[in-house]
Amino acid sequence: MQAGWETAEFASLYAEHSRPIFYLALRFLGDPQKAEDATHDVFLKAFRRLDQFRGEASIRTWLYRIAINHCQNLCQSWHNRNIHAGSDDTVFEDAVARTDSPLRVLETKELGQRIQKTLDALSDEYRLLLLLVADEELSYEEIAALVGQSSDAVRGKLHRARKAFAARFEKTV
Amino acid sequence: MKQQTKLSQKQEHIAEQQTQSQAAKEFSNADELLRFDAAQTTVPPEVAQRLKQSAAQIPPPPRKWWGKMFGG
Repeated sequence: MQAGWETAEFASLYAEHSRPIFYLALRFLGDPQKAEDATHDVFLKAFRRLDQFRGEASIRTWLYRIAINHCQNLCQSWHNRNIHAGSDDTVFEDAVARTDSPLRVLETKELGQRIQKTLDALSDEYRLLLLLVADEELSYEEIAALVGQSSDAVRGKLHRARKAFAARFEKTV
Repeated sequence: MKQQTKLSQKQEHIAEQQTQSQAAKEFSNADELLRFDAAQTTVPPEVAQRLKQSAAQIPPPPRKWWGKMFGG
């Protein structure tokens, strides 16, 4: 029997995981409307394929996999339609002056815009890694599996991604 | 009247304190900042509504042949 929306199982799955999936879509795509559409599509795919979930990974990881593929496909089709200069993360990595200094925020009102600007300036790879590691439920091993790299490679790239983020974030004031 | 003025001053003071505590924040790294941002983000309720409607249109999967045969 297929688990339906009306079943408590799928409703609780949505209640528990919709926020992190929406947040990933929101900050990865940088557009609230697209993020809403993507969240809808991701959970609809999950609804259709729930009987295929084998339990080898956590349900959160499984949903992230669907969401990442979906967002990357959207970005790919967008990139194909538009001339895109691409992000050079090394510019920000090299420019960072105070890597270990905290990120100070004086006004939380426009924080979302600053974060979005910063993430938009990074490569898709760094953006995705930072968004995944922000979810405390995911281990480095799970992140590595999601992005198809080794845990060591993920750790190294995350170090550079954090530096690039901090350097770019300072410039958004 | 005087009491009302005092009360509104107190309310203003509390509101000001709340604004200040919300305004200045420090995050040790990008992870912490993004976690804070994620916690502030809510999923618009329209998404759940749309999903319910979309899910209702999906027909149940056809019964497998052995199910038809053996009533499973």
